Amino acid sequence: MPDEVYLDYQSAKPVDPRVIEAMLPYFGERFGNAASLHAVGDRATATLDASRARLAAFIGADDPDEVVFTSGATESNNLALIGYANRNRRSGGHVVISEVDHISILNIGKYLEKADFRVGKVPPDQFGRISPAKLRSRITDDTILVSVGWASNEIGTIQPIAEIAEMLKGTGVALHVDAVAAEGQLSIDMRAVPIDLLTLSSNDIYGPPGLGALYIRKGVKLSPIAVGGGQERGLRSGTEPLPLIVGMSEAADIAAAEMRTEVPRITALRDRLIEAVLSTIPDSHLNGHPSERLPNNAHFRFEGIEGESLLLSMRDEGIAVSTGSACSSKTLEPSHTLISCGLLHEEAHGSLEFTFGRFSKDSDIDRVMAVLPGIVLRLRRMSPLYKTD
Amino acid sequence: MKSTQYSEKTLEHFRNPRNVGTLEGDDVAIGRVGNPVCGDLMEMYIRIAEDRIADIRFQTFGCGSAVATSSMTTELVKGMTLDEALGVTRANVADALDGLPPVKMHCSNLAADALHDAIKNWRSGTKLEPLTAGEVAGVGSGCAVPAATVIANADDYLGHGLFKHVDHISELAEKRTLVLDRGPASARLALALTKVTPRVVFLTELDTLGLPEELSREIKRSDVKVLYQARLLSILGEGEVEKVRIHDLDEDNQYELFVDAVVLLEP
Repeated sequence: MPDEVYLDYQSAKPVDPRVIEAMLPYFGERFGNAASLHAVGDRATATLDASRARLAAFIGADDPDEVVFTSGATESNNLALIGYANRNRRSGGHVVISEVDHISILNIGKYLEKADFRVGKVPPDQFGRISPAKLRSRITDDTILVSVGWASNEIGTIQPIAEIAEMLKGTGVALHVDAVAAEGQLSIDMRAVPIDLLTLSSNDIYGPPGLGALYIRKGVKLSPIAVGGGQERGLRSGTEPLPLIVGMSEAADIAAAEMRTEVPRITALRDRLIEAVLSTIPDSHLNGHPSERLPNNAHFRFEGIEGESLLLSMRDEGIAVSTGSACSSKTLEPSHTLISCGLLHEEAHGSLEFTFGRFSKDSDIDRVMAVLPGIVLRLRRMSPLYKTD
Repeated sequence: MKSTQYSEKTLEHFRNPRNVGTLEGDDVAIGRVGNPVCGDLMEMYIRIAEDRIADIRFQTFGCGSAVATSSMTTELVKGMTLDEALGVTRANVADALDGLPPVKMHCSNLAADALHDAIKNWRSGTKLEPLTAGEVAGVGSGCAVPAATVIANADDYLGHGLFKHVDHISELAEKRTLVLDRGPASARLALALTKVTPRVVFLTELDTLGLPEELSREIKRSDVKVLYQARLLSILGEGEVEKVRIHDLDEDNQYELFVDAVVLLEP
């Protein structure tokens, strides 16, 4: 069996070996708790401050104190939405999210509804894009917060975030953006775009899993969602995991330095696969936006077959991919993202997602194209749904 | 347990399914269960000789366990008398595959049901025909309901994505459009709309296209997506049409479809 071809970077990324190298000393000789008053603690504080500044620079934040470390993107989303809603309840009780957002945002929305907030969900167009005008029409005097993901982790559609941010500027409505799918691929600059809260994940830029961050623009007030020793300006208690934080800032430095060459390389891989699939496999479609899409995302739909069967067959060929099919999920519900783009359940079932990354290469696409057309053909031959008159 | 955590035996049957295909002839009966909306549709073809299953084939649209259970069922029952075959249950099939993930036990273990359906059809003399491409979404009981439902809240959306007549199809350019079956005029409109928008869904309460033959053929050949045995329950959206709630009359369940426009031609 040749090497495993991994094309599921949106699910998990390997930590860059340079990041591991940078982290290692902080598990041992350079350990420390930044809250301690002795020399070991001071050394940890200095490392923590420097790391925070590096991450702030990565997103163009004016002040390192605008960055708070968390346990990951899910926690950052919780702190942003629940923390902001609770703290600003007197200003209003209405929050607007989008139907294409990450599942954590949708479930936080449900939680806020139970806590007596009203939560509106803006539907996207057929490409998964949110219209700023439609979003605006949802905002009332009671609205305090809008949350839109920068890009879909699933279908790769990029949202018009700058336009949305400009539209909300000065309205008193705060904007939260989950940037996890976009970070390292799109330019993220808090000086250029007036975003109030921004969620980041460490692993999504090839840093260690188990760490995330929330950018909180100066002046934006949140309540903590967990209480404890008051670390991270009281917003996120718990001793800071120094090795992970060093790793994330190292990962941010590498991403910033290599984006200019890496993004065109990944985009070319994506475009080559899309071209090959659509031109060789009949009745195949691209999900998501044709041009406003993440450089690393190719998301297809094949008529007449079911995604889990596709995924299993690809697995047998040593290729790791994802599907939006219900049959592969715990709830047996198809992907909410695909449904919100207007697909029917049976259409959402036949989807397959490829996401490229730092260690993807041209030969990966050769491997995919050597087997995928045959797999689709085989599954269609046994499908009662794929018949031509 | 992950939904894809299958036994080696299940994976083996998925990789090398036995008896895939169809059968033809007067001594053949067809059984059909499932619904593509749920991600599963299964057909069993049995050839009967002297009250025994002389040959068997299947086709399935479904996940790994749907393929494997179909394959295993055909292996188990080949050569059995019809009564013996009726005694084969979903549990027997799952056991023969060294078990299935619990979440998959019901949704994708329909092969025994399809087999029983085939035997039942044989004994009652019911002759199912293989599906045609245009019919695949209309699988089911064969119920036919006249299309005259009144959508309670429709008028709220007039001018906001709801159309009772369409003067220029360009009004619907690039819009995901749901056209309700109101006879040939609505079908012709659906066809015309495919020139201006990639997404046209034609919703009918019937289990077949009740249209003139030529028009039906044209619809089936076109990019119009037909939803059979489906009833529009309500239009949803804040201030404009954003989605609709649909009742699947065959499965008796409801689901939402995201659309930008609904066309409900005046009779």
